[in-house]
Amino acid sequence: MASLVSSPFTLPASKADHLSSLSQKHFFLHSFLPKKTNSNPNSRPSLKVKCVVGNGLFTQTSPEVRRIVPENKNDLPTVKIVYVVLEAQYQSSLSSAVQSLNQNSSFASFEVVGYLVEELRDENTYKTFCNDLEDANIFIGSLIFVEELALKVKAAVEKERDRLDAVLVFPSMPEVMRLNKLGSFSMSQLGQSKSPFFQLFKRKKQGAGFADSMLKLVRTLPKVLKYLPSDKAQDARLYILSLQFWLGGSPDNLQNFLKMISGSYVPALKGTKVDYSDPVLFLDSGIWHPLAPCMYDDVKEYLNWYGTRRDVDEKLRGPDAPIIGLVLQRSHIVTGDESHYVAVIMELEARGAKVIPIFAGGLDFSGPVEKFLIDPVTKKPMVNSVVSLTGFALVGGPARQDHPRAVEALMKLDVPYIVALPLVFQTTEEWLNSTLGLHPIQVALQVALPELDGGMEPIVFAGRDPRTGKRRKSHALHKRVEQLCTRAIKWAELKRKSKTEKKLAITVFSFPPDKGNVGTAAYLNVFASIYSVLKDLQKDGYSVEGLPETAEALIEDVIHDKEAQFNSPNLNVAYKMSVREYQNLTPYAPALEENWGKPPGNLNSDGENLLVYGKQYGNVFIGVQPTFGYEGDPMRLLFSKSASPHHGFAAYYSFVEKIFKADAVLHFGTHGSLEFMPGKQVGMSDVCFPDSLIGNIPNVYYYAANNPSEATIAKRRSYANTISYLTPPAENAGLYKGLKQLSELISSYQSLKDSGRGQQIVNSIISTARQCNLDKDVKLPEEGEEISAKERDLVVGKVYSKIMEIESRLLPCGLHVIGEPPSAMEAVATLVNIAALDRPEDGVSSLPAILAESVGRNIEDVYRGSDKGILKDVELLRQITDASRGAISSFVKRTTNKKGQVVDVADKLTSILGFGINEPWIQHLSETKFYRADREKLRVLFEFLGECLKLVVADNELGSLKQALEGKYVEPGPGGDPIRNPKVLPTGKNIHALDPQAIPTTAALQSAKVVVDRLVERQKVDNGGKYPETIALVLWGTDNIKTYGESLAQVLWMIGVRPVADTLGRVNRVEPVSLEELGRPRIDVVVNCSGVFRDLFINQMNLLDRAVKMVAELDEPVEQNYVRKHALEQAKALGIEVREAATRVFSNASGSYSSNVNLAVENSTWNDEKQLQDMYLSRKSFAFDCDAPGAGMTEKRKVFEMALSTADATFQNLDSSEISLTDVSHYFDSDPTNLVQNLRKDGKKPSAYIADTTTANAQVRTLSETVRLDARTKLLNPKWYEGMMSSGYEGVREIEKRLTNTVGWSATSGQVDNWVYEEANSTFIQDENMLNRLMSTNPNSFRKLVQTFLEANGRGYWETSEENIDKLRQLYSEVEDKIEGIDR
Amino acid sequence: MTEPSTTAAATNILSTTTSLHSSTTTSSFNTLQHHLSAPNFRQADEETRRLLILLASEEKRGYVCFSEVQFIPETDLKVIDQAWRKHSNNKFGYSVQKNIWKKVDKDFTKLFLKLGWMKKLDTEIEQYNYRAFPNEFIWELDDQTPEGHLPLTNALRGTELFNCILRHPAFEGQQEQETGTGENGGVRDGTKTFGDKFFKPNYCL
Repeated sequence: MASLVSSPFTLPASKADHLSSLSQKHFFLHSFLPKKTNSNPNSRPSLKVKCVVGNGLFTQTSPEVRRIVPENKNDLPTVKIVYVVLEAQYQSSLSSAVQSLNQNSSFASFEVVGYLVEELRDENTYKTFCNDLEDANIFIGSLIFVEELALKVKAAVEKERDRLDAVLVFPSMPEVMRLNKLGSFSMSQLGQSKSPFFQLFKRKKQGAGFADSMLKLVRTLPKVLKYLPSDKAQDARLYILSLQFWLGGSPDNLQNFLKMISGSYVPALKGTKVDYSDPVLFLDSGIWHPLAPCMYDDVKEYLNWYGTRRDVDEKLRGPDAPIIGLVLQRSHIVTGDESHYVAVIMELEARGAKVIPIFAGGLDFSGPVEKFLIDPVTKKPMVNSVVSLTGFALVGGPARQDHPRAVEALMKLDVPYIVALPLVFQTTEEWLNSTLGLHPIQVALQVALPELDGGMEPIVFAGRDPRTGKRRKSHALHKRVEQLCTRAIKWAELKRKSKTEKKLAITVFSFPPDKGNVGTAAYLNVFASIYSVLKDLQKDGYSVEGLPETAEALIEDVIHDKEAQFNSPNLNVAYKMSVREYQNLTPYAPALEENWGKPPGNLNSDGENLLVYGKQYGNVFIGVQPTFGYEGDPMRLLFSKSASPHHGFAAYYSFVEKIFKADAVLHFGTHGSLEFMPGKQVGMSDVCFPDSLIGNIPNVYYYAANNPSEATIAKRRSYANTISYLTPPAENAGLYKGLKQLSELISSYQSLKDSGRGQQIVNSIISTARQCNLDKDVKLPEEGEEISAKERDLVVGKVYSKIMEIESRLLPCGLHVIGEPPSAMEAVATLVNIAALDRPEDGVSSLPAILAESVGRNIEDVYRGSDKGILKDVELLRQITDASRGAISSFVKRTTNKKGQVVDVADKLTSILGFGINEPWIQHLSETKFYRADREKLRVLFEFLGECLKLVVADNELGSLKQALEGKYVEPGPGGDPIRNPKVLPTGKNIHALDPQAIPTTAALQSAKVVVDRLVERQKVDNGGKYPETIALVLWGTDNIKTYGESLAQVLWMIGVRPVADTLGRVNRVEPVSLEELGRPRIDVVVNCSGVFRDLFINQMNLLDRAVKMVAELDEPVEQNYVRKHALEQAKALGIEVREAATRVFSNASGSYSSNVNLAVENSTWNDEKQLQDMYLSRKSFAFDCDAPGAGMTEKRKVFEMALSTADATFQNLDSSEISLTDVSHYFDSDPTNLVQNLRKDGKKPSAYIADTTTANAQVRTLSETVRLDARTKLLNPKWYEGMMSSGYEGVREIEKRLTNTVGWSATSGQVDNWVYEEANSTFIQDENMLNRLMSTNPNSFRKLVQTFLEANGRGYWETSEENIDKLRQLYSEVEDKIEGIDR
Repeated sequence: MTEPSTTAAATNILSTTTSLHSSTTTSSFNTLQHHLSAPNFRQADEETRRLLILLASEEKRGYVCFSEVQFIPETDLKVIDQAWRKHSNNKFGYSVQKNIWKKVDKDFTKLFLKLGWMKKLDTEIEQYNYRAFPNEFIWELDDQTPEGHLPLTNALRGTELFNCILRHPAFEGQQEQETGTGENGGVRDGTKTFGDKFFKPNYCL
């Protein structure tokens, strides 16, 4: 997640072109000095947020349009029906059933009112619903699976249940199912009764089997029950018949259903003979086509009919047409709400594709997919690609999903699998109006869940009309349907075309679009990877022509003279596009003019034509994605209205699609700009730029496996089939210089401490520690001070513990190359860390735990002792670490070939595991103090590690790419941290996030408690024993995916609530933890969600907001409930309700990411800290309100500021072992420490903490400790910077980036020690040799490095000698001259 | 359900497409003429849809599939179009729509905007939604009524149907055609009458 939010691209504000003077392409020496700006940040037009209309909910539709009140001229008894459904398709069918009943019936007149389940969120609607129930005769419910709303339905119906004549609930959550009653038939015993009827609801883990066994029952039971005499059986039979009527949902069936129920159960009709026909049954699953005379149960029969169609030409009927499989819901077909299905079928056929539209009545489509889309004889797919129009996961719909089952079926089918969706909870207009786009619940149900099946391209293809009657049906969105169908056919073509004719556009990025950044991607050696991919494709039969000899030559081809480029990259021009051609090929070009004027503009242009950079090699084009255009100019981004891609950007994709005519585009590495272009968050419309840009090209995207959150955005917004790649293997940071000396001193202390030399050695340790600036981390006695032997041990122990902490940090080494799995020894550090975690779910004990146990210790105690600096524990921990590394190295060595590559793990393992005595780890441990370690536990652990090793070195990255390009299905897999979750491996999977409703998990809650407790303890120690009243913290998307919601759970635990899972295991509710149990006051929070978190977890923001509001409204003493305390104060001060004052969940406005503080710092375009804080406030003060969730993000700056002003501590989580505070700019970008100090009435600086749960021994450190640790392990560590230098040009930039990020921390938190800059200066500037290497390798980055040093001094973050500054100034002009000299 | 053989099906096409007896045709087109001259555009619009369904397919589906448009006899479509043009000072009719369609590069969103079938939304970004049937459409002929506003062809099932209508041979070089008498003289043999056919007007935007 190297750049989680470093793509701050969109912001709805107002345009202010005149401000572009702020942007300076060239930064001068004193650019950090206060500059005159033409604008007062406070007077800028406020960010316009669309006002909430109506109830603030997602849908404004009213059930009143569905109310039918009969005229009842003949004074017949009235039967009132109230229904609640998820599926809008039932409304029209029910309405027309009731209308015809009222026209023709002679026994009763029917009143009916229907509610869509989502509408019950609205308080008034809910009241009406309750009122309606009071005089209703019959209640009907179906597919009620949203817990919040299910509980509302339950509460309302329960009250009336006894009085109601009949209650019929079809598949829904058990709570609602229990409401069922028909005479003597009741389901109130659901889940408890032993009767076989109820047993089917009991098997919790059966996935969609639930609905299917219900269906089976429906088919068989009536026949049996018919012959049973008792009333009970009769009632049960009627229930089953009802279900048949319902599932057969045509108006006729529903008419008979209503006749049957009212005739049998409404007292006023007792004695009236009401005739009804049996349900007309449809196939449970089959093939349906609007023109076909019937539904088919056999694909051959269907195709026979297709072949005889007289309305289509031979081409479509013949064997050469592409064939698209469609997956449909039967309920839409039988209720006649199928216009949107017809639209897709017609569009595909009109475009020359044959269709096989299959349907199922249940929720498990995996069976029908296998039955109808796979040839039973050849086992080959009958189709070239598949589009599900249901929006649901393949197995389980809205109920219980079974993703492994779905993946199994889709692997068998092995074609691209697209899941498009119709709007369910919103009307077309509501969706169009929404900046969020798709309703968050629908995102959770119909985007996030299908992704777990490997479903791609969540395109909204059908909308709904808000009005009554027939017109409530779904209707096609013509442009969306077109987009969906062209894309489906394109994917199908990949399956059909030969390799030689396939055209591939490889797209590389230049992000950040600095000089010399072309072809950068997180952790990836891009050109070496492309080279290896091209070689492989060539071998595989693709026409790759004129490929140079080496990867370097390839770079040279695309970027001429890559090292000398300073102001303008000298890229190879692949195509010049005239403005006229551009306008013809790019229908949305006029929309870009508001921001960029008339084409061609300045970017990617020669003044007359638009330039496409890149080079073609036969059927492969390597192109450079244009830059976003705003990067050097964060102010412009802040002030510009609706940002948009520039003409050059659009021209690039027009070229790829329409001139080069790519069959697929391959975006190469994490990450580009396309998917961050403005538009809805999820569910693009015609005017969303990512959708327009990608057009109809299938998008394959190599993405770092550790970044599932941004990969998910690429999937949803640019329709990418992501293929994961491995991040480079990590190494331990090791020790150097003084730190190494210290470690040697400590070891001699241990052997000599009782020899009388103890005090002397301790003195050396203390002075060396001081030289290493460890005095900030460890309280060191004054020099010369006499201390007792016990105290000496403690001082040494503490220093030792610090040293070990530094030594064992992980550093990713080098860059990954696609198709080159890590060598054996490279995998060791990763395996050691995998082995350090307990995995109770797999029955695997951690290696440190096993080793500690063998010497009679508990590893947790050892960790705690070591943290406290107890010397013998620190020493033991070091021994454990050494033994772990040794044991694992010896194991890995045994699986290695001569070249050092891991081969044949499986074979080797068998031979190793076969002979206990030979086990390499036992051999190794036998020579250590841990020789008694439990062999069985070790064996289990090493078997697990063997599996992991196999996966680490597996090379599926090229294979998966080839599968995608051949139009095959790419197996989905989670993204995340391989150490925590080895299921991430092997790479080469289509990355998905997780079921957002599954988090936080119980395990995450457990870890969260530990961290929160440590944090609170730590804060009490630093703060005179007082609890913090408020903690301001950040929620990251990737973090929460990797940890299954740990930081989310932290927030819940701070305010003292716990998540409650519903009967389906989904978390949509919280309940307060009692103050007794909590044992401390409820701590107030200010939650800053990253833009990516907001995109992925809007429901969890909703949950948090509900939790905060609930806590604020608890009747508790304010000194025990700081949330309430502050909310009461704020409500009073602002004159608002407590509930509104209790607003704590903030993020960016929709479609905008990051606070942009990072951009300002990177470009030195800021005057003072106040300006940065203003940026933060203006970008981040958008709140989510659970009482008006449909309003999206609404600006609530006042409450934000007030809440922040109460913060005693700020807090962030580190999410992965390889990325720390100064590696990326987004951590300081979201840090509010100095801002809080400014806002606090007492002006006190809050404590700042960073939690690190990436290793077995979770730590909460202060921010300054973490910055120091980071500086020691990276910036100042020879192992790190020499490693960087070895990658040349790029390496210098990496070094400079760390220093710039360090300045960022100074600016936002002031938590960087002077010595960090001082040491950096001596390492990189005072060392002549180093200085010369830096300058000659990458003068441009070196200039920035020198500038950053000067800036650190100029802004008052670094005090140093005049001498140092003079030298830097002099260097600056030298390098400036050098660069100018090169340039001209 | 047994399917006729391909040849039988082909024969079927002939019988279907030539099934409108002249008298029936005339009387049916009379209803359209009647509504148009009233003028009652709302009813004329309904009648037009009814005719299209009838002319294009025998199915009880209630709507026309794009692939069936080819079965609508050129002359019949022309009669309908001429009727609309005649009673609207050449403002309404498929051929009018076709001209606009050609002018907007056959882009249906642009066409729908020109025809007044979509409305602009009040959002920051320029966006359009479909107009609701029937109230948001204009059923009078006056200066405000956009050119080509009627007859309606809905987009409920996408644009392929409309696409095929506009591409129908009836509107190739349409401008010169003056009357409904084409090469077949508008006279057909056939026995079926409109009344025999089941349809449900299910055609709305």
